[in-house]
Amino acid sequence: MERGRALRIKRQVEDRIVVPRPSHHRFYGHGIPGVDGEKVAGKLIVVEGADGSGRSTQIARLVEWLEGNGHATVQVGLKRSTLVSEELEQAKQGNILSRTTLSLFYATDFADQLENIILPALKAGFIVLADRYIYTLMARDMVRGMDEAWLKNVYGIALEPDAVFYLTVSPEELVQRNFAKNATLDYWESGMDLGFSRDMFDSFLQYQRAIGKVFQRLQASYGFTIIDGNGSVDDVSAEFKKRIAVVLAGRQHA
Amino acid sequence: MAKTFAELKFPGRLIAVEGLDGSGKSTQVYLLKRWLELQGLRVYFSEWNSSELVKAATSKGKKRELLSPTTFSLIHATDFADRYERHLVPLLRAGYIVLCDRYIFTAYARDVVRGCPPEWVRGIYDFAALPDLTFFFKAELEVSLQRILDGRPQLKYFEAGMDLRLSSDPYESFRIFQGRILEQYLAMSTEFNFLVIDANQLIEAQQLVVRELISQRINLKDFKHKESYYAKRAPVVRNKLWNEEGPYE
Repeated sequence: MERGRALRIKRQVEDRIVVPRPSHHRFYGHGIPGVDGEKVAGKLIVVEGADGSGRSTQIARLVEWLEGNGHATVQVGLKRSTLVSEELEQAKQGNILSRTTLSLFYATDFADQLENIILPALKAGFIVLADRYIYTLMARDMVRGMDEAWLKNVYGIALEPDAVFYLTVSPEELVQRNFAKNATLDYWESGMDLGFSRDMFDSFLQYQRAIGKVFQRLQASYGFTIIDGNGSVDDVSAEFKKRIAVVLAGRQHA
Repeated sequence: MAKTFAELKFPGRLIAVEGLDGSGKSTQVYLLKRWLELQGLRVYFSEWNSSELVKAATSKGKKRELLSPTTFSLIHATDFADRYERHLVPLLRAGYIVLCDRYIFTAYARDVVRGCPPEWVRGIYDFAALPDLTFFFKAELEVSLQRILDGRPQLKYFEAGMDLRLSSDPYESFRIFQGRILEQYLAMSTEFNFLVIDANQLIEAQQLVVRELISQRINLKDFKHKESYYAKRAPVVRNKLWNEEGPYE
């Protein structure tokens, strides 16, 4: 191949592929015994938001886009650990566990994925996309009256993500989207265990507003990037890509 | 500093027993339970790592060696929370004497030996009130080790602390691990007012001390079942002595 053409190709590919700079990762608290917040090339990107806010759609798009640009990705989410996901699902179906128990069960699920998927993947240079993270777990518990300091201690094991996006969608719009998808509202996402209202529709609206308020409070300590999820899938996706490109380029705040 | 159930004005009382595997504490708590039951008192017994749903996950984690110090700690805390919220607290509200074979101190000792920060572990369990009485069965390390090693030569992975990579020999690992747990227990003894029982004595001699201490500190008459209710129930006899499953099961 002639030299000029080879260079041109190299430049074209370089245009498309951004090699991320390794960055130092920190834990919120003491972290995981025996694990260092070392310099890793991978990035941890968290997408938070209610059911129906478009999290999974946006994550699916991001995966496509990232892979197209040469980044390997791994996805994690709540209740997906090898260790306790089945048991946790059972517990939720039966509605038999009390608050602290359910909370610790979720923390176990999170820790298992953190140690066995997130940390190794970051070390190996993957972009880890987390469909929800500790903030949802904390917000759910806080709405149920659990102590914020207690939760912060439990989740001191968590790694600080490179970026946290919070997809906000108005509760009224969420209802519409959930109905369009399932024609039903989820028991837990409606906060039915809290007894706001026996009417699921009312309960859903109240619960989502309460969760939204807690997220606003958590925003102060954790600094989420808020993304307006009321727009079209394409618009929201464009917004995500713009901000994630900044993260990949190595600047701290998206 | 957390409060005891009595300080929190619960009508019930919680008595915990702690000690190394092989210290004989399970035998002692069984005899204690029988003594209280036979007097017609309201008694409930709860064992470490026994909540049905959580236990399935724990035993899977242990069999497949999936647990890290962090998940080991959290899954046991989940188990404890389940028993605490669904059994212990309601029963203590109802004026029961609740006997716990192992309580939060087991987690304090083991998880810290596994490398979890003490403040983190204590923070997790700070939803739990302190026992009204905590008996610590203190045996010579060698005696405890011998009891376990005589009876059950096949040591389980986590029980022997093999996850800590202290030694590739399970017996040696078990020795070192138990030794470190004992150190943790002894360091907590004063802070949490452990009633230390010399577990090298004969079973009867220990039980005598336990019963005396309880009689001095708890007004047992307050915990009597109402006659009519108790009369309908035959006492439940469970021989826990010789087919006991270890806490790591």
